[in-house]
Amino acid sequence: MTGYVQFVDTAKSFGPVDVVRKTSLGLDRNSLVVFLGPSGCGKTTLMRMVGGLDEPSSGSILLGGEKVVRPDRRRGMVFQSYSSFPWLTVKDNIAFGMRYRKDLGATERAERISHYLKLFGLADFADSYPNRISGGMRQRVAIARTLAAGSDVLLMDEPFGALDALTRERLQVELRQIQIREEKTIIFVTHDVEEAVFLADRIILFSRRPASIVADIDVAAELGPDRPLEIRETQKFFELRNKVLHLIRNETGVAV
Amino acid sequence: MFSSLFVFRGRASPMVEFAVSVAAAVLVVALWELAARAGIIAPQFLPSPSRVVIALWTMLTEQNLLWHVAVSTTRVWIAFLLAAIMAIPIGIMMSSYRIVGAALEPMIDFIRYLPVPALVPLSIIWFGVGEETKIFLLWLGTFFQLVLLVADDMRRVPQEFVEVARTVGANSRQVMIDVALRWMGPTLLDNLRITLGWCWTYLIIAEIVAADSGIGYVIWTARRFVKTPEVMAGVVVIGLIGLVTDQLLRLLHRRLFRYL
Repeated sequence: MTGYVQFVDTAKSFGPVDVVRKTSLGLDRNSLVVFLGPSGCGKTTLMRMVGGLDEPSSGSILLGGEKVVRPDRRRGMVFQSYSSFPWLTVKDNIAFGMRYRKDLGATERAERISHYLKLFGLADFADSYPNRISGGMRQRVAIARTLAAGSDVLLMDEPFGALDALTRERLQVELRQIQIREEKTIIFVTHDVEEAVFLADRIILFSRRPASIVADIDVAAELGPDRPLEIRETQKFFELRNKVLHLIRNETGVAV
Repeated sequence: MFSSLFVFRGRASPMVEFAVSVAAAVLVVALWELAARAGIIAPQFLPSPSRVVIALWTMLTEQNLLWHVAVSTTRVWIAFLLAAIMAIPIGIMMSSYRIVGAALEPMIDFIRYLPVPALVPLSIIWFGVGEETKIFLLWLGTFFQLVLLVADDMRRVPQEFVEVARTVGANSRQVMIDVALRWMGPTLLDNLRITLGWCWTYLIIAEIVAADSGIGYVIWTARRFVKTPEVMAGVVVIGLIGLVTDQLLRLLHRRLFRYL
């Protein structure tokens, strides 16, 4: 098994409850991998273990060959709930990502803030507080903060789950573009099949709890790296979405 | 303009709300004056507001009331600040480290239900009849309530905020200072404002213990000679101090937490 992120016989239980069965998996660098599965199946727990926020009960997780033991800025989390700090402006929220980095000077910090403000279309709202901007913008702030921290791996736990359909679509397109431009590895957790197919280079489909891998789907081979919004209306996209849906119904026996 | 006042969960402009507050207070005072003048209630039980105002003026000009106010305010603030300085770190530690919470929470829960008046004899045995006893009694009424409120505030810091900070490289101390305390700020100030009010409510108990100064002493002495207007004037002064302090702290809240 190879990969930038590696799960080596990783299993997790909380007391007597098994959440994740022994799992081995390797994820390539600079790819967007979607963990798909029914709600409560354990996919978030797997992702949290990559973040160092939960510890495997057995086995380990490696990042670039190094064992993950605690959280650090190389692996940033983006949550479903709006996690922008309400007491900081948009600009200061992004700057918070670099707050504990001693290797960056003032000029470099300012340049990075300016870069991410522009990249996420937030420049006009730099001095606004989160309660003055939309939910979509708040999620952009959260992603920008994680990237500004210098995270190599983005761990995204249903980050667009609370957004309306149009904002969600727009952010999905932006995320794909940013992932390619910034060359990041993203693990994205969702239970939305259409979102998974649209975003993923690769989908890892999990069973009901305790989670185990039931399918590994190479979406990039089918849809390629570019994902304009219109791709959702192509035959290929429909077929792939239906294939994933069938797999879920057959393998997990539940609706997602 | 006033119609929104009658809408369920409606909103009114601050000016309209202020006008309603003043009108309600004036109405209560007017009814009180009418009731007293009509002789419905004997004046030794309920003197008219005008007699209370006259008594207040006399106390201000002839009985050094402002000095008594200053003494009481100093006692309350010393006790309150001591309680806050101790309760904030202890409350935070109780919610942050289970060993501290498990050790202290049952004890604090027990003590906070003890009536402060019941502890007056004990406090005299411990501290004598000087300032220490008065400040101890005021502290007692505030500290244990505040520590639990702070612990609750700390418990409510969203886990996502803590985890975001940890994944950008913050250690536990930095999470505490840069995230938890910042998040707690508004509710913490609200809780301080509320417990400061509670501290004032224990003033009479604290100042009847061999005191020769303070508003509590003034009220207690007036009671002994059935000077009801003076008793009521003392109570009104405490209410006014509370009202002004509350408004100032609300103003500070608005200034400090503009992002809300």
